[in-house]
Amino acid sequence: MWIETLIGLCFLAAAVVFVAPDRHAGKLAFWLSTLPLALSLYLYAAFDGSGNALLGGDVAYETRFEWLQLGPYAVNYHVGLDGISLPLVVLSTVLATLAILSAWTPIDERQSEFYGLMLFLEGSLLGVFAALDFILWFVFWEAVLVPMYFLIGIWGGPRRKYAAIKFFVYTNVASLVMFIGFFALVFGLGDAIGSTGLPEVAQALEAGQLGSLGPLGPEAVAMGAFLALFVGFAVKVPVVPFHTWLPDAHVEAPSPASVLLAGVLLKMGTYALLRFNFTMLPEQAVTLAVPIALFALVSVIYGALLALAQSDLKRIVAYSSVSSMGYVILGLVAYTVYGVGGATFQMVAHGLISGLLFMTVGVFYNATHTRMVGDMAGLADRMPVTAGVFVAGAFAYMGLPLMAGFAAELFIFLGAFESTVLPGAPVFTAVAMFGIVIVAGYLLWAMQRSLFGPYRLETDYEVGPAPLQDVVPIVTLVLLIVVLGVAPDLFFEMIRDASLDVVALGGEP
Amino acid sequence: MLEAVPVEYYLVLSAAVFCIGLFGVLTRRNALMFLMSVELMLNAANINLVAFALYWGELTGQVFVLFTMSLAAAEVAIGIGIILVLYRNYDDVDVTDATTMRW
Amino acid sequence: MFAWFFQFAPAIAVLPFVSFLLALVAGRWLPRKGALAGILATGGSLLLSLGVLAAVVSGHTHEQTLYTFVDAQETFSLTFGILLDQLSAAMLVIVSLIAFLVHVFSLGYMNAEGEPGLPRYYAGLGLFSASMLAFVFADNLLMAFVFFELVGLCSWLLIGHWFRDPAPASAAKKAFLVTRFGDYFFLVGVVAVLVTFGTAQFAGADGFPALAAEAIDAGESFFGLSAEAWVSVIGLLVLGGVIGKSAQFPLHTWLPDAMQGPTPVSALIHAATMVAAGVYLVARMYGFYLLSPTVLGIIAFVGGFTALFAATMGVVKNELKQVLAYSTISQYGYMMLALGAGSYVAAFFHLTTHAIFKALLFLGAGAVIVAMHHDEDMWLMGGLREHMRVTYLTFLAGSLALAGIFPFAGFWSKDEVLFDTLVVGLEQPLLLVAYLMALAAVFVTAFYTIRMVLLTFHGDPRTDVAESPHAVGLSIKAPLVVLGVLAVVAGAINLVPVEKLTGLRVSFLSSFLGSDRGLLTHNAHYVDLRTEYAGYETGAIVSEPVTVLLGVALGFGLAIAGAVAAFLLYRDADPVRHTERLGSIHTLLVHNYYQDEYQVWLAEGLSLRTARAADTFDQGVIDGAVNATSSVSLLSGDRIRRVQTGVVTNYAALVVLGLLALLVGFALYGGWF
Repeated sequence: MWIETLIGLCFLAAAVVFVAPDRHAGKLAFWLSTLPLALSLYLYAAFDGSGNALLGGDVAYETRFEWLQLGPYAVNYHVGLDGISLPLVVLSTVLATLAILSAWTPIDERQSEFYGLMLFLEGSLLGVFAALDFILWFVFWEAVLVPMYFLIGIWGGPRRKYAAIKFFVYTNVASLVMFIGFFALVFGLGDAIGSTGLPEVAQALEAGQLGSLGPLGPEAVAMGAFLALFVGFAVKVPVVPFHTWLPDAHVEAPSPASVLLAGVLLKMGTYALLRFNFTMLPEQAVTLAVPIALFALVSVIYGALLALAQSDLKRIVAYSSVSSMGYVILGLVAYTVYGVGGATFQMVAHGLISGLLFMTVGVFYNATHTRMVGDMAGLADRMPVTAGVFVAGAFAYMGLPLMAGFAAELFIFLGAFESTVLPGAPVFTAVAMFGIVIVAGYLLWAMQRSLFGPYRLETDYEVGPAPLQDVVPIVTLVLLIVVLGVAPDLFFEMIRDASLDVVALGGEP
Repeated sequence: MLEAVPVEYYLVLSAAVFCIGLFGVLTRRNALMFLMSVELMLNAANINLVAFALYWGELTGQVFVLFTMSLAAAEVAIGIGIILVLYRNYDDVDVTDATTMRW
Repeated sequence: MFAWFFQFAPAIAVLPFVSFLLALVAGRWLPRKGALAGILATGGSLLLSLGVLAAVVSGHTHEQTLYTFVDAQETFSLTFGILLDQLSAAMLVIVSLIAFLVHVFSLGYMNAEGEPGLPRYYAGLGLFSASMLAFVFADNLLMAFVFFELVGLCSWLLIGHWFRDPAPASAAKKAFLVTRFGDYFFLVGVVAVLVTFGTAQFAGADGFPALAAEAIDAGESFFGLSAEAWVSVIGLLVLGGVIGKSAQFPLHTWLPDAMQGPTPVSALIHAATMVAAGVYLVARMYGFYLLSPTVLGIIAFVGGFTALFAATMGVVKNELKQVLAYSTISQYGYMMLALGAGSYVAAFFHLTTHAIFKALLFLGAGAVIVAMHHDEDMWLMGGLREHMRVTYLTFLAGSLALAGIFPFAGFWSKDEVLFDTLVVGLEQPLLLVAYLMALAAVFVTAFYTIRMVLLTFHGDPRTDVAESPHAVGLSIKAPLVVLGVLAVVAGAINLVPVEKLTGLRVSFLSSFLGSDRGLLTHNAHYVDLRTEYAGYETGAIVSEPVTVLLGVALGFGLAIAGAVAAFLLYRDADPVRHTERLGSIHTLLVHNYYQDEYQVWLAEGLSLRTARAADTFDQGVIDGAVNATSSVSLLSGDRIRRVQTGVVTNYAALVVLGLLALLVGFALYGGWF
């Protein structure tokens, strides 16, 4: 009953906050959000699962009962956590609580609605990571879009309507493609499965029970499904060239929403890629290893180059997310323990780091009302602590050792380099690693232009240090990033354990 | 037993009534004429139902006709209401006037 | 009995780290804004390092895994550990000594001037010392990389200390970026080592240098390359990081700019931490480099070339710290040359003496800069020796050491580098070329060093400030004196020429580094490897003593010649700017051979333009396609909705037409006609 309590708490808190008066909403939401946070930390501490949830592992906190009958297939309410999903659950609750705290300063209208939507978003995100039945998972997957649409559309910047609609329509079209892909698999499996449960589908596919679908043979069905799923998730990740919704959404979204968007929403895409494409259809993934790795490379290098060309801090971080998520794809396609595990670890690490950077940019914006690097020169003079945190975040992003980003990138590079399923793996890895130079370039340059040099922002009020409620969440995140960077095994151990079976699927060529 | 009228006759009658109604719907602009034309079409359908009920010796069709008639009555009530509102707003009962709700 | 110190060895790095944390969190409330904490911490590190050195000298070594970073039994684990052998123990003493003296010096240089941001400064200094010390005792390549990068971070923090000025902020960025470019190759190398050998341990029979030697012996192949070729590739990749950090050509451009940082930081960076890290890394994994003669040749050639190349630029500089910056690049070139020539001892010897005299020179320059109210142009100085006896004498000692004048420390180490290169070069033409370049650099070095001394301290004062300089305090003088004495006597730790000519056992460093401690990191092992894998043979001119004498005569003669030339040109009370008479060569040198220009062009011109083009492409084509999809949908929707006229009659007509069309369709399909 743990996961129901966890998700239920979020939705309940959302309902309570939604009807609470505006002036109390922020504090109420923060304190209520610490409940799921505490619970998720307890779940982490008491975690006793082992193996991969989809491949017959020992699932922790599992609940399963029949919900609906859909034709020949039972739709179960089936949730549970394994070593891959638990870190993401913890990431979601941590970031949600901190994002709510960081919203106290900037959000000054329709507060109860804002915080209600944030909590609703948190609950849906937790559902995505915990669900083990496709229909249930899909419900949460789509439910995530709704609060985010409103968060961007109501509290966003000047072009918020454009951004919100672009975000919603783009990802929704992708969901459609993905949905078709998955049901091709379900119908292709035919009588081999009795429900839409993800473990059942994955194990039936592993047992080779995929049949023909109309004129298409099993091979073609699997390949078609793989491509449809890949495209569907690639939009969410986002992989170049499906990335253009991201900078618009980030620039227009209010900073606390950006934190969850970059920190957790993007991870839904890579999480789903791992769960569906790389766990259910490993043969196709191995066949397509080179093109997938090329997509990853292009995302890494091209995303970093785009970030270099921007002058809006949020756009810089947004494009660099594209770059970082490229590493995740590279790690996944390697089919090694360090690769797949590192990719999952990168999801957590990048969630914390990009969340930190968006939050810090938000703090700057609260004080200066600008995000353009050219406008805010010398800000370190007026906001030393926030500037220091931004420096820490930027170096974490550059993969400074003993911070989470380095551990994640190192694991991915190790895993990708030793990959046996990807031809020319060392070359791919070496090229992708050049991203760490470009990322240093644009972040250092951005810092030089925005934080250093003589202070010259002209405002009709005094720009001073950020209030405590803004500083606490960003400092907390820095500490978390350092802790994970020094002791990655806090998460990496369970991630490795859950990745082993996936890696075995890739097999030797 | 009296020699029954063949069912085709009814069908021809029904088709004729229906076409008259359809012609009315397609050409008239007066809302009242419109309503009457719709009634004609409904009743054409009723003729069909009754005819086939006789032909098959079943009562289902006749029961359906009862429903259709009550539906037609309700439709007239609402239709007249709409026409009254139309007249109040446009001082006319021309159906081509009220086009503001299209997009 | 000294082995007792080993259990406290981690504290050598932990102490400065604690001072970093203290200064970071509570620096505002600490006495002297964190300076005292830093001094105590580095002082403690120095004592512990001395204890460790004593333990190693008495025949013990220590290798221990301290922390398992990733415990991945199913593939390979990543660990952090501590390796205390001759090399690391000696280096720990050097680093902690310089760090300690720099902390003391900062008390007079930074605190006395009432600088803002002192806690930040001391936090940076503490982390810098801690990272470098941890880098030095790292027992594997991954840990070395980790702290190598942290050293880079600290250099960024400290070079950009005065961030309110645009120049330091820009210099810090450049330093980090250029070294990051080198570190990129290093990281690829680390990954390659881990993946290839499953371990990154430096020492022992299961360390990666030993495993690589085995792989070469067994004729294995990796990733489609033979073991030799693969070892060379990895060696070159790691060398990228070395060239970046040790400021070797072509990645030397960050170092002169890094002079924007506070002068004590420059001393730390140049003498013992960041720049030394590169050379130290090569020495640390020397057993690996000796397996690949190709890479050794490249190291030697880069070193020799850099030694000469940087020295020539030092000749025309007008700012005190700029001269020193180019001399640093040049001197690290010597160390690289020695490593490339297979002379592990000479490289480390020069690293040691250079650490001493370069720290001395920078701290001396710092004293001068304080006296000159933060003016660095040597043409505004002159005659300072009258007012600053201590600074003058110690600076002179450091300068003579740098110039390689007998009997100062630099003479002995530079001579050993040159001699070892010469004997190998007699059999290897490439190394002989490198040797000749380094030999030419001796002349140039002596010239610019003496020029610097003369312009700064001799002649008549050329400005009012130089006539009545600001007095400097004890915390500035004390480190100068310590280092000044060392700069005179430190050469005595390895008097190889004396031993070769007289037979006295006075090459203490050689025998220390050479003794076998079972870790395969001693010089005797390296000499074996050098013969076996690198295929280096040594030659002699006539006989060994003759060669020794010839080497000494050449090196010392050129140094004296350079010094005399500078003395003759600049001894006047009001010297002339002779270098400007060089014309176009002067322009070339002042512009640093246009190395900055092309690198800035690469970074800004090329990358930024590519990025802008990519952005245009992204907004225009990729996002254009997305927006086009939506525009087409909207436009076609707008057209199609016009079917909705709002006239019921039209809808009815459409329905009828549709019905007819369906009927006709069914009729045709069903074959009714």
